[in-house]
Amino acid sequence: MVEYEVPEVDYTQYTNRQLVAIPLAVLVLALAVIGGWWVVTGAPVTYGIDFTGGSEITVETTLSQEEIRATFDEPVSSVQGIEQAENRYIITFESSDIDDIRDSAEAADGMTVLGSGSTSPIFGEENRRLAVLGLAVAFGGMSLLAFVFFRTFVPSIAIVISAFSDIVIPLAVMNVLGIKLSLGIVAALLMLIGYSVDSDILLNNHVLRRSGGFYESTYRAMRTGVTMTVTSIAAMAVMAVTATLFGIDLMADIGLVLVLGLSADLMNTYMLNVTLLRWYKYEGVNR
Amino acid sequence: MSALRENWRIALLVVLLLVSAVALFVPGTPPGATPDEGAAAEGQLTNLQFGIQLSGGTRIRAPVVGMTAEGVAVGFQDESDVTEAVAADLGVDPIDVRASNETQTVEVFARNVTESEFRAALEAEGYQPETIRDGVTDETRSQVVDSVQRRITESALSGGSVQEVAVPGGQTFISITAPDRDRGELVSILEERGVVRVYAVYPVENGSHVREQVLDQDEFAGIGTARESDSGPGVPVTVEESAAEEFATTMATNGFDSQTVCNPNNYNHSNPSSLNGNERCIVATLNGEPVFVAPVTQGLGESFANGDFVNDPTFVMSTSSMEEAREVELSLKSGRLPAPLDFENDDSLSLDPALAEGFQQNSLITGILAVIAVSIVVYVRYGRIEVAAPMVVTALSEVFLLLGFVSFVQYPLNLSHLAGFIAVIGTGVDDLIIIGDEILQQGEVRTGRVFESRFRKAFWVIGAAAATTIVAMSPLVALPLGDLSGFAIITIVGVLLGVLVTRPAYGDILRNLVLDED
Repeated sequence: MVEYEVPEVDYTQYTNRQLVAIPLAVLVLALAVIGGWWVVTGAPVTYGIDFTGGSEITVETTLSQEEIRATFDEPVSSVQGIEQAENRYIITFESSDIDDIRDSAEAADGMTVLGSGSTSPIFGEENRRLAVLGLAVAFGGMSLLAFVFFRTFVPSIAIVISAFSDIVIPLAVMNVLGIKLSLGIVAALLMLIGYSVDSDILLNNHVLRRSGGFYESTYRAMRTGVTMTVTSIAAMAVMAVTATLFGIDLMADIGLVLVLGLSADLMNTYMLNVTLLRWYKYEGVNR
Repeated sequence: MSALRENWRIALLVVLLLVSAVALFVPGTPPGATPDEGAAAEGQLTNLQFGIQLSGGTRIRAPVVGMTAEGVAVGFQDESDVTEAVAADLGVDPIDVRASNETQTVEVFARNVTESEFRAALEAEGYQPETIRDGVTDETRSQVVDSVQRRITESALSGGSVQEVAVPGGQTFISITAPDRDRGELVSILEERGVVRVYAVYPVENGSHVREQVLDQDEFAGIGTARESDSGPGVPVTVEESAAEEFATTMATNGFDSQTVCNPNNYNHSNPSSLNGNERCIVATLNGEPVFVAPVTQGLGESFANGDFVNDPTFVMSTSSMEEAREVELSLKSGRLPAPLDFENDDSLSLDPALAEGFQQNSLITGILAVIAVSIVVYVRYGRIEVAAPMVVTALSEVFLLLGFVSFVQYPLNLSHLAGFIAVIGTGVDDLIIIGDEILQQGEVRTGRVFESRFRKAFWVIGAAAATTIVAMSPLVALPLGDLSGFAIITIVGVLLGVLVTRPAYGDILRNLVLDED
């Protein structure tokens, strides 16, 4: 019988400083990547066409990638083949003049337009503003709830820092991998807030509200929490891979960002949060 | 009976699953669905509605072209004078200017007018606008919505919908969804301003011809269906009673009192004198372009003269092709768009039905694979089929309830919603794991009481987590960020169904399992 047990970590071996160092270093690194990106490119992340304006068409054609590029007068940003459907390509443009683009594609020999999407720069700008607003409201609401649930500063702020780091790390990784921010990714970031808080609440609840020693409670919470997160990572990884093969960008984006964010959450919850709680339990309470 | 009372949560789940099955599979169940839609329709298994991403079609969201001058003291009597004068100043068609006493605004619906030109034109007429802003008034916008709505109904677009969408603190735009048209077709239907005017063109004393407008859009009472008759294709139209008499008199006094001569080939709309000597034509224009130039028949001419027309104010606008006839019909029926839509600044999505239906299948496969992945992890973790299986089944029943719900409210599913379903499986299983661990991993459960207390502890965490997810998702419901509001709605409904129905039921299932063991 295959069976895995969540390994019991002997936290007593490590000091608070040692434990916190890694997640904080990763967070600082992520912030540095995003900050550097901001300085160099003028934006914290690379915006996709949802946020800058642009067009995307899906075509079926036997033409080669070079021939596809040559078909259009408008500069082609990328041509992406779809794994599971031969001769099917997603082509993106910076121009949002979708009518011209569709006309060029339809006029070309042996090219059929299957779908198109476009966002004008005005809508892109609006989307950018709304996405920031949405994230801010969601994050603020979550922080408020965290304080309402636990009513003490350290455990609550631990949840907030961890959720913040869970969002920032995938954003930094996206920059490094060259993934552009899309609406789907914004949705994934919001979901990440929800997922991230699950395991933190579980941990805080076990440590603060249950009888039993700190390490025993932590281990119980970890056993459940790690199982939860690993299950979610499995579901999202499968979604990311299959959706990429099928060329369903939206699902692929959501899947990938959640895999990154949930992995970050494992580190943040069981290194950063646990440490903050231990400090609070053994030293903070007595102050 | 006591078994039922103890397991009422399971009973509730079963009942709701049955209700969902009815909503999903029984034809005609969802309110508002006709019996031949959904599950009853050919090749369709369920009552689920699919949006354009999963069944094909076009969605366009575009702002309305226009600029509004606010705080303009337009007098009640002056509306039409201001309109004409400003239009003349700016060199635009008078239909592209609108002055309103009620809202104290003047709007101009043309792309190439700048703010300073507009201000200058108003100041030349002695008005001092307080502000000039981009965009149009609420009245204009809601008229555009009505007019687009009528237009897509008239053009036989099945299931098309029109909505006004306001971005908080930003612009307002019109969102149009047409499930069975590609972008080109939809744009051409919408771009047509559809302004119809009828002119009489006749010779005057000095031998030249004049063009006099005799009817405008509002003066038609009824529009027939484009049809092919003995005299060629045409659209029968009925003139408003109040306008019929003046129309007939004008026609009769200008020589249209019997059959007239008119060679459409001679007619040049910008120079009516291109007609020969005694030619008299009746001309209908659509958006300023003549679509119908014809003589008046004997019968029609006589009816103008003897007053019969007033009693039966109907004539046929004959056109050169059926296509043109249909276009005239559509424009007359849908009325003109008060202001054009700004397709240069739109946001659009268009999918071929084949591609979209491919997405249906592929996302189903994606979902199934995700469920299998989850099942494997859960099974490997617990190593007990009797713990893992109910978890997976419960999570799936949550998805089934959610499908029943969207089917019942006839919510059109798009890709983002399916991503929401997968997210729901994720959070659902997470919560079941919390319940499972709380009850199974803390030592033996001897009595129902112990069970209840553990279950309640687990539920506190689940409730808190659910509340957070709902809070995190709610901004997306309110903000018009593409399809993401649908994703958020699905996630929130899924979380609620989970917390209220499926997760408590899973608790009952587990209790039966663990208490039976003793």
